[in-house]
Amino acid sequence: MRGMVLVLAAAIAVLIVSAPAVAHHGTAAFDTAKTVTTTGTIVEFKFANPHVQLSWEVKNDKGEKDLWQGELTAPNKLQRAGWTNQTLKPGDSVTISGYAVKSGAHTMWIRKLIGPGGQELPLFEE
Amino acid sequence: MKRINFVIVPFAALVFGCVLYGQEAPAKSDPAQRRDLTGVWMIRNPAPMRAYAGATFTKEEPEMTAWAQGKYKEAKASNNGTFTLETTNDPVLTRCDPPGVPRVYFHPYPFEFVQTPKYTLMLYEYDHMVRRIYTDGRSIPKDVDPSWMGTSVGHWEGDTTFVVESAGFNDKTWLDRLGHPHTTELHVTERFRRIDKDHMQIDFTFEDPKALAKPWKSTFSLELRPKWELGEISCSGDYLDFSKFEK
Repeated sequence: MRGMVLVLAAAIAVLIVSAPAVAHHGTAAFDTAKTVTTTGTIVEFKFANPHVQLSWEVKNDKGEKDLWQGELTAPNKLQRAGWTNQTLKPGDSVTISGYAVKSGAHTMWIRKLIGPGGQELPLFEE
Repeated sequence: MKRINFVIVPFAALVFGCVLYGQEAPAKSDPAQRRDLTGVWMIRNPAPMRAYAGATFTKEEPEMTAWAQGKYKEAKASNNGTFTLETTNDPVLTRCDPPGVPRVYFHPYPFEFVQTPKYTLMLYEYDHMVRRIYTDGRSIPKDVDPSWMGTSVGHWEGDTTFVVESAGFNDKTWLDRLGHPHTTELHVTERFRRIDKDHMQIDFTFEDPKALAKPWKSTFSLELRPKWELGEISCSGDYLDFSKFEK
């Protein structure tokens, strides 16, 4: 019983903390009703202001490589979540999920990132 | 078992009560220091406020004058709005203008209080914004030159409430991310109330006879972040290149 309450309290704490982050621009260009997931390799990792930028290659159905791009929050916020400028590097295998841009381009507002070790990387500070 | 239930039942009721009302119970914290706000603070509003408090101060619209209602209709907001970087007319997003006070509170970054004997500094991580709040007893000059962050004076009421009055703002900024306008007659009152060592609330009152039909009031909650240090978030450089992410 006590364990159940603790688990419940922990679950509630997670729900409370995981408020959506707001980018410096709005979500108008993105389809926030649909989450897209891609698996590929990092091409570029720019740990820079105002928002961290990523590009990665994904093999499409024809076996060709599509180049995707996406953004995370500010580097300061990621540092406070445990990141450094070495957290990702070109060639790393990643699985990245997020909201794709409405135009259909391979651009994503990243909401979840599973890193090269298979572990999910935190995208938000406490 | 009875004893355990005695503990668990009220606790569970508290947890569910918090969920029902959407309020997180603040963690226990040491008492507040006397007349001291030093440290890095982060806005952490209760859950029910989060649907709007990243962009504006109240769920309900403020009571605006006819002039302000007209200006507000011209605002094309992108943060929490329906416009993209290419179509917005947000002065921060299109020109990298300073957000001014009070909009600076909607940049989701911490700020730091630094206290000296004659003034208190507010250092906002976003784009190196600084406010110098004089505590030497002076008043705000009547003909103060307009500026982005205004001119501020502060005093303590009791040991835990720091009251800051600010005026002398230019009229180039929005009050929030939605585009509520103001004029150079904007007057901002912030009552920084330290609840305990780790928690603070700010009671805001915005007055502007030309823009607001009556004072606009709100209260934001903040938490101390003892392990955080302010870094650099710059608006310049490749800031505007993000429009490519929307194509």
